[in-house]
Amino acid sequence: MKVAIVDYGMGNIRSIVSALKYIDIQDIVVSANEQELKGADKIILPGVGSFAAAMKLIKNKNLDSILNEIVMHQKKPVLGICLGMQLLGSSSSEGDFNKGLGFVDGSVDIFNSDKIIIPHVGYNQVSIEKPLRLYRNMRDVLDFYFVHSYKMTSNSSIGQNLCQYDEDFIASFELENIAGTQFHPELSQMNGLNVMKNFVELF
Amino acid sequence: MLRQRIIFTLIYDSGFFSQSRNFRLQKVGDITWLEDNYKFQDIAFSLDELVVLNATRGNKNILKFTRMLNQLVGDVYIPIAAGGGIKSLNDAKLLFDNGADKVVINSALYKGQALVKEIVGHYGKQSVVASVDYKNNDVYINNGTEKIDMSLQEYIDYVESIGVGEIYLNSIEKDGTGFGYDIDTIKQVTGQVNTPLIIAGGAGNEHHLMKGANIKNVSAVATANLFNFMGDSLPNAREYMINNDCNLVKW
Repeated sequence: MKVAIVDYGMGNIRSIVSALKYIDIQDIVVSANEQELKGADKIILPGVGSFAAAMKLIKNKNLDSILNEIVMHQKKPVLGICLGMQLLGSSSSEGDFNKGLGFVDGSVDIFNSDKIIIPHVGYNQVSIEKPLRLYRNMRDVLDFYFVHSYKMTSNSSIGQNLCQYDEDFIASFELENIAGTQFHPELSQMNGLNVMKNFVELF
Repeated sequence: MLRQRIIFTLIYDSGFFSQSRNFRLQKVGDITWLEDNYKFQDIAFSLDELVVLNATRGNKNILKFTRMLNQLVGDVYIPIAAGGGIKSLNDAKLLFDNGADKVVINSALYKGQALVKEIVGHYGKQSVVASVDYKNNDVYINNGTEKIDMSLQEYIDYVESIGVGEIYLNSIEKDGTGFGYDIDTIKQVTGQVNTPLIIAGGAGNEHHLMKGANIKNVSAVATANLFNFMGDSLPNAREYMINNDCNLVKW
């Protein structure tokens, strides 16, 4: 099993590598190289920082079309984490309007309420309300670590599971070979490690 | 519901972990001592986050610090914030590459707004924790040695205007005393901020942690007390808090 972490210059890759090693993945590549990404069995798209800056780096490295080929045509499993999840969606209103990779229908907007403190940071509970591969064999209410100011929502059925911070937003989604978590599985103790294990084994 | 967090802070000083009292450092032990007394792989289940601060006076030798960090955080799957003496984007990058999920910035907030903005530009504002050390109503930088020309309230406004992910508020007077948090000042600041607030300075037992966590709008309670939370103390403190309706994750 070979897992590739897409290296486009944003995201804390070290924690993800260390979490993958914990779940016994030995063959890990961190790369933006087309051949290396195509040679992997699963792809992880990390990300922290701003949506626009991330899309710009992705386009500079031609990763938008490379990922499109791998994910949409080769149907290779991909897991987007945090900003990486948001990038898999259609668009974001962070800064100006920006198009995402567009693999799933989802738009990203700021938390818009003066009742809450932004960013949404810390562990929040996620209720698993339907059978989802990412949470297989796990309890039905779980805590995960979130740190973000923008949240994704979708009008389509993309296997989303919601979390609440004043309003509902997507904590994770899974649509065929495409999955994403707004939370950081690599920073969520055993809950997160189990989600990563489920992604690797069931996608 | 969004949980509150317990954060353990490690104070590092030239190769040793130290107990700080009113910002005077007493060396306690090296990483072997720490690993013997605090097995983070195990007690991580009593913690929600780890902060590691390089409080070395003078030359902070960030390379040596990052090597220690790298060794320390292997197999710990909670967020790690690290800082102390960050003077360039490259310093921040070194920390991120060696296990930090966030960086803690103190003096550079006051002195180098451009640097903070550069780090925020690269890693996002949620990756930057603003550390604010205060005594009475005055703010100090450079390990509490240099008083600046802004009041605590003015400085908190200033820090929020730069745009950071969290604020780590530390009372120099309460630091390491084990007498409990500076509740009055914390209440004042929570009424003012719209950024997640981590409180530090003074917690010596589970009652202090709980009293801090019970203040409205406190996101996280931190302790750097190496002596008071050894062995089973941290797991026990967490259990006590959960049993008393504190909104913490039951790991």
